[in-house]
Amino acid sequence: MEQSFDLPDSTDWLDTPLSLLAPLESSLRCQVCKDFFDTPVITSCSHTFCSLCIRRCLSTEGKCPTCRSGDQELKLRRNWLVQEILEAFKNARKSALTLARKEAARIAAGGDEDPEPAPKKRKVSQVDHSEAPEVNPHSPQRVRTRSRSQMAQSQADGQDRNQASSVQEVIEDSQDEDFVPDDGMVACPICNRRMKNEAVFAHLDKCTGNTGSAPKPAPAKQKSFGSLQPHARQTPISPSKAPERLPAINYSLLKDNQLRRKFRDLGIPDWGPRQLLQRRHIEWMNLWNANCDSTSPRTKKELLRELDIWERTQGGIATAQSSLVPTNTVMAKDFDAAQWSVSHDNDFKRLIANARKKSDAQVRSTIPGAAQAAESNSTAVDSSAQLASGVEKGTPIEINSDPPGPSDMSG
Amino acid sequence: MASSVAQKRLFHEYKNLSTNPPEGITAGPVSEDDMFYWEALIEGPGGTPFEGGVFAAELKFPKDYPLSPPTMKFVGGGVWHPNVYPNGTVCISILHPPGDDPNHYEHASERWSPIQSVEKILISVMSMLAEPNDESPANVEAAKMWRERRAEYEQKVRDEVRKGLGL
Repeated sequence: MEQSFDLPDSTDWLDTPLSLLAPLESSLRCQVCKDFFDTPVITSCSHTFCSLCIRRCLSTEGKCPTCRSGDQELKLRRNWLVQEILEAFKNARKSALTLARKEAARIAAGGDEDPEPAPKKRKVSQVDHSEAPEVNPHSPQRVRTRSRSQMAQSQADGQDRNQASSVQEVIEDSQDEDFVPDDGMVACPICNRRMKNEAVFAHLDKCTGNTGSAPKPAPAKQKSFGSLQPHARQTPISPSKAPERLPAINYSLLKDNQLRRKFRDLGIPDWGPRQLLQRRHIEWMNLWNANCDSTSPRTKKELLRELDIWERTQGGIATAQSSLVPTNTVMAKDFDAAQWSVSHDNDFKRLIANARKKSDAQVRSTIPGAAQAAESNSTAVDSSAQLASGVEKGTPIEINSDPPGPSDMSG
Repeated sequence: MASSVAQKRLFHEYKNLSTNPPEGITAGPVSEDDMFYWEALIEGPGGTPFEGGVFAAELKFPKDYPLSPPTMKFVGGGVWHPNVYPNGTVCISILHPPGDDPNHYEHASERWSPIQSVEKILISVMSMLAEPNDESPANVEAAKMWRERRAEYEQKVRDEVRKGLGL
């Protein structure tokens, strides 16, 4: 139940004073998956979608979902600007939404009047107001977003930031090149340390230029604007570093065996009837090529996991909720071998013990007088039995890689 | 468990519909364990014989939603309408995949596309109730009545609505 409502959505803005942000947020969402664009690409007809979403659409229909004009995967181009806008929006979203909701709650509680008395903080009223959420009766959970809202405020209004931080943090403002604190002191021209006027010349004689405790401008400044910088100028990885795209296969030219060999070369599951193989390959191609578009490509292992989810929801193991049927658990792709061997440890041990007893008895009965030999051999048997059980535990995958019976293959 | 593309998208639509529902429409999954089976309630549009009625329908989503459209079926008493089969199944162009158009009467632009949504389907169905499309009727009897004996059609619809409300 909760899951659906934790989902960030453009309607989150509707009940706040910032309701006009709802259309902005919807336009940053892919119309196919309704989520924020993941690696946005633009079609020849100038519509933007997630790379993976449009690839899936084009591979099933060959048409743009918005205007239905025909298009090809090869013509898709990345849309960096949308990605940058989106990153910036995502960064600001949480704090802006928190502020907007707080404001909505405040308005609901009593119009424009301040909900709590904060006489000491009057001087910098608006800013400090948002920074004192622990007194706010409407939002106990807001406390942890405090620094964020502070950040948002400072991003939203540079003037206010300077004012507010001059109260809290003198260091930061002294970084400002034009800024001269009104403390009746002067700065050493070499080390920047502040001192009384008459002490400067004496100090200059022994000044090493070491800035010592004096604040260093660059890093502090970096910090205060940190959230604005890295995302705006994140440059895409060079195409040479990107993994190579997968070409389409003309399935009709390949025999089953050739196709399966190709799958093994690609490292994807090669079981199932031909139609499933084709569908799986298309999905893999979409996943792979969309990943090539991404600024932060995922590893092949992660992509294989995605393919596995596809297999369970739409592919060969997608018979309606059949993964819950106990008889099928060993066949399921998400079968956890390690856990299985732990929970069935006793059974394995019992089987090993039985096997050992039997072999001991056999040795005794078939070779007269070999009891002692059997005794001494038992350690060897023991270790080999363990080896066998180890193999058993380690490779239930063997069962997995067997193609399931035809009844399991819906499609 | 990792959820599929379809499930995520349906969660989004569900949330969107519950926080910002269009007028006269309510929809959501019957149980949140199964996002692929929804129930919807549609109010009869005002100024039509369906006015005052509330119509329940079930929506079934395919595993590859939104690449393929869902199906929609009115439940609990038939809806007497040219575009609704006697068993309740709704026949409307937005629910038809672009690929198959056996009748060649629908424009591709009216049919399903992944950018359509439950909300758009339900709004289309609402306007379908107000303005039947008799080019390819699902219920031939109703279509005939609607075309030739409009007053009788409207009376029958009103009677059905009243029956549905238990009056």
